[in-house]
Amino acid sequence: MEIGRLREGVRARSKLLLKGPGGDDVLPGEAAEAVFRAASSLRPSVILLGATRNGRETASRLAAKLGWRCASEVSKVTAKAGELAAERSVYAGKVVASVACALPAVATVKTGSYQRSDAEGGTVEEADVGAVDGAVRLLSRKKKEAGGPDLKKARVIVSAGRGVKRKEDLPLLEGLARDMGGALGCSRPLSSDLGWLPEECHIGLTGVTVKPEVYVAVGISGQLQHIAGMKDSKIVVAINTDRSAPIFQASDYGIVGDLYQVVPALRKALAARKGPAPAA
Amino acid sequence: MALPGLAYLLVYLASLCSVAAICYSFYAKSRRTSTRLGLDRLAALTRDEVRRLASGDLVFLMHLSIAAGIGVSIAEVVLIPVLPLVPLLRLALLLLSLPVIAGLVAAIGWRVERLRASKRVESALGAPAAFSSASTVVQGVLMVAIAFTTLELVLAWLQPLVLAGALLSVFRNALVAFYYSAPSVNLISTVGKPLPSMDPPFLLSDVTSGKVDAADIRSGVGKDADFLPGERLSYDSCVEIGACEASCPATAAGRPLSPRVLVRKLSLHSKDPSPTGGPFSVVGEDELWSCTSCGACVSSCPVGVKHLDIIYDLRRDLVARGKLDKEKATMLENLGRSQNPYGFKQEGRGKWAEGLGVRELSSARDAEYVYWVGCVASFDQRAQRVAAAVAKILTKAGVSFAILGSEEMCVGDPARRLGEEGRYQELAYQNIEKLNSYGVKKLIASCPHCFNALKNEYPGFGGKYEVVYHTQLISDLIREGRLKVPPEKVSAISVTLHDACYASRYNSVFEEPREALKASVSDLREMKRRKEKTFCCGAGGSNYWFKVPEQTSIAGIRTAEAAETGAKAVATECPFCLSMLEDSAKVSNSGLEVRDVAEIVADSLA
Amino acid sequence: MRIAVCVKHAVDEAELKAGSDGAPVLAGAACKMSTFDKNAVEEALRLKSAHSGEVVAVTAGPADARRTLKEALAMGADRGVIVGTDAPSADTSRTAGLLAAAVRKAGPFDLVICSEGSSDTYSGQVPPMLAEALGVPYVGYARKLQVDGSVARAERLLEDSVEEVEAPVPLVVSVVSEINEPRYPTLIQIMQASKKQVEEYSQDQLGVPTRPASVRVTHMAMQTSNRKRVTVEGSPEEAASRLVQALEREGVL
Repeated sequence: MEIGRLREGVRARSKLLLKGPGGDDVLPGEAAEAVFRAASSLRPSVILLGATRNGRETASRLAAKLGWRCASEVSKVTAKAGELAAERSVYAGKVVASVACALPAVATVKTGSYQRSDAEGGTVEEADVGAVDGAVRLLSRKKKEAGGPDLKKARVIVSAGRGVKRKEDLPLLEGLARDMGGALGCSRPLSSDLGWLPEECHIGLTGVTVKPEVYVAVGISGQLQHIAGMKDSKIVVAINTDRSAPIFQASDYGIVGDLYQVVPALRKALAARKGPAPAA
Repeated sequence: MALPGLAYLLVYLASLCSVAAICYSFYAKSRRTSTRLGLDRLAALTRDEVRRLASGDLVFLMHLSIAAGIGVSIAEVVLIPVLPLVPLLRLALLLLSLPVIAGLVAAIGWRVERLRASKRVESALGAPAAFSSASTVVQGVLMVAIAFTTLELVLAWLQPLVLAGALLSVFRNALVAFYYSAPSVNLISTVGKPLPSMDPPFLLSDVTSGKVDAADIRSGVGKDADFLPGERLSYDSCVEIGACEASCPATAAGRPLSPRVLVRKLSLHSKDPSPTGGPFSVVGEDELWSCTSCGACVSSCPVGVKHLDIIYDLRRDLVARGKLDKEKATMLENLGRSQNPYGFKQEGRGKWAEGLGVRELSSARDAEYVYWVGCVASFDQRAQRVAAAVAKILTKAGVSFAILGSEEMCVGDPARRLGEEGRYQELAYQNIEKLNSYGVKKLIASCPHCFNALKNEYPGFGGKYEVVYHTQLISDLIREGRLKVPPEKVSAISVTLHDACYASRYNSVFEEPREALKASVSDLREMKRRKEKTFCCGAGGSNYWFKVPEQTSIAGIRTAEAAETGAKAVATECPFCLSMLEDSAKVSNSGLEVRDVAEIVADSLA
Repeated sequence: MRIAVCVKHAVDEAELKAGSDGAPVLAGAACKMSTFDKNAVEEALRLKSAHSGEVVAVTAGPADARRTLKEALAMGADRGVIVGTDAPSADTSRTAGLLAAAVRKAGPFDLVICSEGSSDTYSGQVPPMLAEALGVPYVGYARKLQVDGSVARAERLLEDSVEEVEAPVPLVVSVVSEINEPRYPTLIQIMQASKKQVEEYSQDQLGVPTRPASVRVTHMAMQTSNRKRVTVEGSPEEAASRLVQALEREGVL
């Protein structure tokens, strides 16, 4: 068993690899127990985990085992004078809260709130935590369709919503994203309910939070949950047939119309702007 | 001579017996269904038939011909002993039969067409073969009855063949006695009643006052036994005429609903000796959600079947069992939380009126009218322009009015049509309490759904107001000279009017918008389906708030009909119609402009 | 099967308003059942209809939280349990402790269902902490759940994968909103729910001592969005070229 894998691009003075008997398919309950054992001897002041689904579970259980405080979904984390302070977004992204708790503490860090470092280095140690036995048994693990673009880095995001009638129509939006030099994202139903796009493309409160220069919401009604994931975009454009869709309230520019007409027209207009293709 | 004489006597006696059988079966059916048959009901029926006759509805004329044909044919046979003695009477009957024969011949053509169409609908809906053959039998009976009646009327002209005619009529009378007593009784019992009866299954005030225990309330039909006697009579009265199906927008758009198939399925199910389930074993959920409540089925049914009552009661059961998808549930939750179906904050309700000099009732208690804006015109950016146009018109005409602003709540119609009676009544009682606390007497509505609820439904909950539709008030103001359209402002753009179902079919408001438009527009064109025969935009019955599987959109069909007139613009009188038709006009690239009557009039004022 | 379902009386974020200091006004703010908790209640009801048994809705919160309990009862839960507390929502370990004590007292249960996180603060800590406090297995983020005798099987929906897991009952499960479509309780059903039994446990009764909040909220600021909200008019072609012009003016193309 290895808890996690040592990742490339993690800059740290020293790295500790927790090991034990058993396979590599570790469930969060087992991870929490392993880290708990390691933490009991290492006695750190702060344990940070990524605020992924498994991260949240591991952090909560770890905090419960250690009897420590647990802060969630934090960014801008500081730890000084015996206190952990951080910011987090609450109420569907409508409010930014400053939170604080006494050390030692566990916290889950909002994904995308820190730049990934390219630096290397640090020492690697290994520690054996012994066998951890979870009552939950993993029967199978299936990768979801992978390989989505990195939306957090995209300058332009074209995002698809329920207004897109069929999966086969997504290339139309992909084309627009390409024309604008951006990437394709989606609202929750398209990734979670319909499975047309991988979960990494899901922009919203429970998905990725993005802040591109231009965010083009196509056929997205604009539930608060979605708005929470894109509200920091510089310019928001909405295309929707329903004039009363809330997305228009959260947009700078709105076109009331059928995406199947507007998107091709937009691609044409973008092509015209670049002028005729240069002669070979 | 003795043999023909005896034959005559026998046939004649058989005829009398068959007529007696009709009378008895009619009487027995009315007793069994406890239907009161008074002269007042007959008078109401006559008035209604005259009204429909005057409207020149061809389908109705054919059905009147069938009724008249049977009547004349019975008279000709019953009067056989008398007629030779009174030649003038015979001549009168024969002459009367001429237009009836023409009507019957047309009816046979119509029946053949309906039979074909009904089989197309059944195969599209995937109706079982047993249903389809039962349906064909009933349609066949109607055709035989028409054919025999026609023949009898023709044979009556040829003295030697009267006996043959009389024989045909005996057979026809037997069919009438067997098949048509229920529809006749139903027609008499429902004539003059509103399209859906909308009798509240309970009164929320009884629950809040403790008079009725909430636990004892059951609303809707989940089991066969839950159907009301009137609803049973309704579905048993369907004789497959198919006028409902021919006028239904849901059927036309390829949704999984035909009002004919729906009531017939329930009727056949009720006769199933060993049913495998309740009504939902034969009726689907999407079938019920497909209905836009436009009322075309009920209004076109020659025998008074009340499809809508049945649909509402079944929808109520779906709501009570939580059989709602996200859109429907969210809309109802929004009504509960935010008092509007969008879920917007109520504070924003009066925002459209800022800067327009519109007063709010709280600071203008002397206002004569309250303009009931409705949720769509309050929150929808496009429809807000309609509210602004109404306000401009009222101000120009010097009408003293105010709005309720954030004190106005949804009238409740979307909840009621969806089948959530409790939520509807909660909103209704709250609105009535507010209006009564201000002592409001007169209301203006520019949404026909608000108009219908305020005018026809609120009185039942203690809200009695004089409610006027904006097109009515505008046409009055023009007639009285309080609104003036200078000749140079009359628009030359050709316009066709799309009647809103809840204004025209439900409330007979259809001349007023035309009068208003004629003052502002020089080229007013008419669609084939208009006035009480209008065709839905697809939004009614709460359909605006959810999606139903369909082959084509109802709004698309209507937009094409509007385009067919060659008009450049469609005038609407309902914010839902406006939204549906405008979106559809955009998608279809028809170039049609869609505007409310109020916007067109407001633009033409001096 | 005996099922406890945990629900939260959460601040309705849609109704939240900023005070003069820019912080949201939480005192007297409109509250509702946390959105995803409806999925938890629905799943409990679904399992009950498949296996028969009892569904008990449990909440920890102020007196007003009875409204949320009533909504769960209106949806079809058989009875309710409320732990009266004014502990702040950020104090997840305390909430988990109170819920665990209440679940023990009202139990035993085969299954405790929670949602993945609350719609107001979305920490997602309470369900795993509850499992730790009860000392039972935990399965988080289930998008499918079935119970066969003494074994629960679930599909966990993660960011990049789907896991099929099984665990013995009793256990705590958190569900994601993809698991079902929660039912809407009608107004009459809400009124009928008033007749259902609701038990209130005090913190003393449960023997959970009060202590200072573990995580404190020191400051809050409402995010204001100042979007231009320009509707680009015209035919699709006109609107498209106007939009491109506008984006050029913004300097983002």
